[in-house]
Amino acid sequence: MTQVEVHGLTKKFGRVTAVRDMSFTAPAGKVTAFLGPNGSGKTTTLRMMLGLVRPTAGQALIGGVPYQRLAHPRRQVGALLEATSFHPGRRARDHLRVLAAAGGIAGCRGDEVLDQVDLAGHAERRVRGFSLGMRQRLGIAAALLGDPAVLLLDEPANGLDPAGHAWLRALLRRQAAEGHTVLVATHLLSEVAQTADHVLIVSAGQLRFAGPLREIGAGDQALESAFLALTGEASYASRDTG
Amino acid sequence: MPAAIRAEVRKLATVRAPWLLLAAGPLVVLAGVTGLVQSGGNVHQPATQDTALAHVGLAAVFTLLFGILAVAGEYRHGTITDTFLSFPGRRAVVAAKLAVYGLTGALAGVVSSLVAVAATAAWWAARGGSFQLSSTGTWRTLGGGLAVSIAFALIGVGVGALIRNLVAAVAATLAWIALVEGIAGQLLGSGLARWLPLHASESLDRATLTAPAAGLLPQWAGGVLLLGYATAFAVAAMLTTLNRDVT
Repeated sequence: MTQVEVHGLTKKFGRVTAVRDMSFTAPAGKVTAFLGPNGSGKTTTLRMMLGLVRPTAGQALIGGVPYQRLAHPRRQVGALLEATSFHPGRRARDHLRVLAAAGGIAGCRGDEVLDQVDLAGHAERRVRGFSLGMRQRLGIAAALLGDPAVLLLDEPANGLDPAGHAWLRALLRRQAAEGHTVLVATHLLSEVAQTADHVLIVSAGQLRFAGPLREIGAGDQALESAFLALTGEASYASRDTG
Repeated sequence: MPAAIRAEVRKLATVRAPWLLLAAGPLVVLAGVTGLVQSGGNVHQPATQDTALAHVGLAAVFTLLFGILAVAGEYRHGTITDTFLSFPGRRAVVAAKLAVYGLTGALAGVVSSLVAVAATAAWWAARGGSFQLSSTGTWRTLGGGLAVSIAFALIGVGVGALIRNLVAAVAATLAWIALVEGIAGQLLGSGLARWLPLHASESLDRATLTAPAAGLLPQWAGGVLLLGYATAFAVAAMLTTLNRDVT
């Protein structure tokens, strides 16, 4: 059981404070949704949790240890950050073979996860020819490669078709049922209403709500109202629709 | 083999662009040797033979670009994120890139040398000259060219880590080679200019060609100096990579 904790995480880029004193816990065996408007600091928080961005203050712990000190990061944490992080000239299978070599993971795992994300038939194709949804599935395959107990996913549904959404939902539920920790940053409130156990809502770099989904109320309408109220985006939404 | 090195080797083995870049080196050597003979180079003078072989050092510009691609290319495609997720300490990444790209730079230098020897021997035979494989000039010139190929690959890794924008890194490097060092050399005067990196590389691969009056360092000193530049760039690559935010 690997719990993910964030303690007083703060990041300043020059004079801009992207994340301010963020603290939360993503428990094992649950899907935790990480919600917030564009530019609210979700991605920066995830990147700090993964040791890619150095916090100005605070720390993130994965099973009690900062990411940089994990013994086998690829086998302990699976991360999906953005769909474009592939060399366009590299074949899908080769992309995973590079990651397997780096992570001390058996080479055959690549074909297993490609099968899992329904890309087995495209293993020998160069990523250049992949659609956004296919890149996204390859990214998810890479996150699953080391069979990690922690998944940190940034907008994993990006570019997926309706069948892909249903597949992703099932995957996340299954991961949580196996006792894994799943943290998903997303904008898709209706997906969250169907999938998540816990919800974190951030706005302007600060945590506005952390708690079980049922505290907010049932249905995606309740979630949307809560989201808009907590992030102060209600006036913006009514301006857009009114 | 350490995982970071295996990963770098596999990265290199699974894309084509770096190999096309490296293949340009021997082609330039072949064209250069041919051009030298076609434009009236005297195959009966030993110096002409060394001039032909010195193309190996000139072709090292491709190992320099190859080294830049190692790091700036990863930033360009965003794959650096995955690389740092695998090795969050990052030190292993820089060390593995220096080792793998330095060694590949050496291989490129060897291939260029073989092509240079073959092309020179063939042209010399065709024009009735006698090619001297065993002369010291031959080995000093080829050895110097090989050393430049390795050092330039390492310097390239450093440049790519310092200037992460691939286009800017390549543009700055080509500008330095074509323009900046020449002008800086004139401003400094030959006493100081010989300490600049391209002058150091010339003292390595043109050791038997340029009169000492031209103000280059002796070959061994040029080698030590270029090794110093390579080390400085490698250390700079390490220091700037360790704590930098990858957004």
